[in-house]
Amino acid sequence: MVFKRKTEDEVLQTERYQINLGPQHPSTHGVYQAILTLDGETVIDVENVIGYLHRGIEKLAEDRTYTQIIPYTDRLDYIAAMLNNLGYVQTVEKLLDIEIPERAEYLRVIMAELQRIASHMVFIGSFAIDIASITGWMYNFRDREKILDLLEMTCGSRITTSYMRIGGVAEDIPADFIPILERVLRELPEGLEEYDELLTGNEILIGRTKGVGVIDIDTALDYGIGGPNLRACGLPFDLRKVRPYGIYDRFDFEVPTGENGDSFDRFKIRLDEIRQSIRIIEQAIDNIPEGSVKSKVPRNIKPNAGEVYHQIEGARGILGYYLVSDGSTKPYRLHIHSPSLMSLGVFPEMTKGELIQDAVVNLASIDIVLGEIDR
Amino acid sequence: MESLFINIGNLCREKVVELTEVLNLPEAFAGYFMVLIYAIAILTFVLLNAIVLVYLERKIAAYLQQRLGPNRVGPRGILQSLADVVKLLGKEDIIPRAADKWIFRLAAVLVIVPTVMVYAVIPFGKDMIAVDLNIGIFYFIAISSTATIALLMAGWGSNNKYSLLGSMRVVAQMVSYEIPLVFSMLGVIMIAGSLQMSDIVAAQKDMWFIVFQPVAFLIFIIAATAELNRGPFDLPEGEQEIIAGPFTEYSGMRYALFFTAEYANLISTSAIAATLFLGGPSGPWLPSWMWFLIKVYAMILFFMWIRWTIPRIRIDHLMKLNWKFLVPLSLVNIFVTGVALKLFSGW
Amino acid sequence: MYGYGLLKGLRVTLGNFFGRAVTEQYPERRPFISPRFHGFFQLDLKKCNGCGVCSLSCPNGAIQVTSERDENKKRFVTGYKISLGYCLFCGLCVEACPRDALRFTQEFELSSYRREDFVCDLLEIEKREKICSREPA
Repeated sequence: MVFKRKTEDEVLQTERYQINLGPQHPSTHGVYQAILTLDGETVIDVENVIGYLHRGIEKLAEDRTYTQIIPYTDRLDYIAAMLNNLGYVQTVEKLLDIEIPERAEYLRVIMAELQRIASHMVFIGSFAIDIASITGWMYNFRDREKILDLLEMTCGSRITTSYMRIGGVAEDIPADFIPILERVLRELPEGLEEYDELLTGNEILIGRTKGVGVIDIDTALDYGIGGPNLRACGLPFDLRKVRPYGIYDRFDFEVPTGENGDSFDRFKIRLDEIRQSIRIIEQAIDNIPEGSVKSKVPRNIKPNAGEVYHQIEGARGILGYYLVSDGSTKPYRLHIHSPSLMSLGVFPEMTKGELIQDAVVNLASIDIVLGEIDR
Repeated sequence: MESLFINIGNLCREKVVELTEVLNLPEAFAGYFMVLIYAIAILTFVLLNAIVLVYLERKIAAYLQQRLGPNRVGPRGILQSLADVVKLLGKEDIIPRAADKWIFRLAAVLVIVPTVMVYAVIPFGKDMIAVDLNIGIFYFIAISSTATIALLMAGWGSNNKYSLLGSMRVVAQMVSYEIPLVFSMLGVIMIAGSLQMSDIVAAQKDMWFIVFQPVAFLIFIIAATAELNRGPFDLPEGEQEIIAGPFTEYSGMRYALFFTAEYANLISTSAIAATLFLGGPSGPWLPSWMWFLIKVYAMILFFMWIRWTIPRIRIDHLMKLNWKFLVPLSLVNIFVTGVALKLFSGW
Repeated sequence: MYGYGLLKGLRVTLGNFFGRAVTEQYPERRPFISPRFHGFFQLDLKKCNGCGVCSLSCPNGAIQVTSERDENKKRFVTGYKISLGYCLFCGLCVEACPRDALRFTQEFELSSYRREDFVCDLLEIEKREKICSREPA
């Protein structure tokens, strides 16, 4: 008797069905909806539904002065407000073509990197909770708290910082900031060690993330994703390195890259980036000069008519601001190129054919923030 | 102290016999009444422990995560569970319109029945088994495996996709993991030479079976965690993927029944683990029922520690772990046990 | 060996089990609020002349200042309403104030039950506090 392989029609066919992952769901990281078409546990199709958090920030910006937009940028990527501030004020500075004091540049780097660490910690924590290691989440938030305390000390707010100003920063750091920062930098690697032991080396985590949600470099570039998600594919593309903005060309740091572009690489690369950010902050502390923190900028900012595009390395990828000025005190148009939106675009492609559990991990691994996607 | 509960039991029996004589009832009624009293005693034990465990679980989780946990209701929050019960009692009992109403209602009741039934064969202390069946372990396995049906009914009756997905996972997981669970028990049964709980406890007089059967103990722990839907094997409830699995649509006291059943299962499985591998209620100095509680709670704490540390396993890895690792390993264990028994017991 | 990572994880959590809690014990222990914290607002009546720069600098238009001029043509503030429901706590108003009359306090418990309660009259609050406090005005 010859064993004959059954054709597709002869195999037991099950009914496909759709379930909603969101907008109210424990693991969608905000109000985001994914309509999953499932065959049993396997995801066949994913449809992104965004827009639940749309607040019209780009439109609101057209009715605000250049300075007044800064608090709104906090609310884009509310996990890394400092980086949004930085990207925006640098865009305006590029438009105005002004120099900012040395000390302010160093403060910006320190704050931006602290914020990057805090943001990556939220990533690691939410990644841990999405594979149901709730304890890992708590440990990350414990360490993030130290950074938030530092931010609160400097700018008065923990999340919505509004610290950067056009032409510098809002205030100089308080006197006891640097000693506390140095202590925190000493303590952070201990926490990283702990996550490594609890999460990175965990066989179940490795089993669930290795080879899951693979993006190759070409797909990543096609979708325009950047930042850690792109570097996890193996391309060492970091705007701080390849197109240095501010004073990033003065710092010595490495660009960690992944190998396979799977969820595990995207997880691991963030741990590595925290270590690199610590290095950058340490160098900044050593070299920070004395001086003023804000250059003379007129109260009513009136740039010449024109347009400018500026991009920085956000915590989630390439964060770009496109600003059109018509010569008045308010921008004619502000467009925000948000990295999370780019990352979310590739989510259906990387998830098709995998299990529903992988879909959750994939969604966590691309590190989206809905405030930035819907704007 | 040692025979505290036995004395209470005997007192009850005397009173019941007197009562039947006074009421002029047939003698068999005394037996029925005693069964009722045992059932009430077991139910009280189960519910009290479930309440304690809810609090304990939250506290343990909090301490592992460097938090304080519940600390509002009563000193150190010890009345938290009571507040929870009151809250659940006061909740609206929602039955979704599209649900299969009878299956939906029945599932919440059915899930608690086998859970309580298995306590009949658990040796709470020396001479403290409600029914010392000669097939005690077999009874435990047979009854506890029927809980799967209740969970499937809950998932199907809810008419919710998440629930259905969860209940399908329950069936796949619990049916598969039953096999290594039973196989791991076989090693113990072979050494003890009996299925009766009291015999198994007696056989561990000199040495606990965990020493002879470490591999079986490991398999038992893994399979039991999967049977309990806890720890790394909480796929049926997988909050991150399917909200709450079969319990998604349940609210109020119906949900509380599932919750109680879950903790009652945790206690009974820990009790079986303590009986089979840790010498049951035997131990020096302290009364036997106290030893039993200590061992059970040690097992429970271990289960909780695992649950709050290890991430959830994926469904295909779950099946692979079972069929490609646990089942062959447990078969090897049975084989080795058999050979060793033959060698050491001599011929 | 498979399972070693799991054991390491178990060791980490066990180690933290016996550690101290790191969370805020809020109502029992008041949290430490840094001096720069963006909490409630305080208006220095002696300094404020009701120029309204704060109102202009607010991105959300949450501040309403009314002022009058006395016989010497000197302006003084007659009303200062701030709508906390619209406030972003960004600090642009405090920064904009040319006479440093407006500043943040460390008070952070600002929730209220009704929407109307979010509109705070800083002038009223200042006057009330002046009566309550024993310090000579």
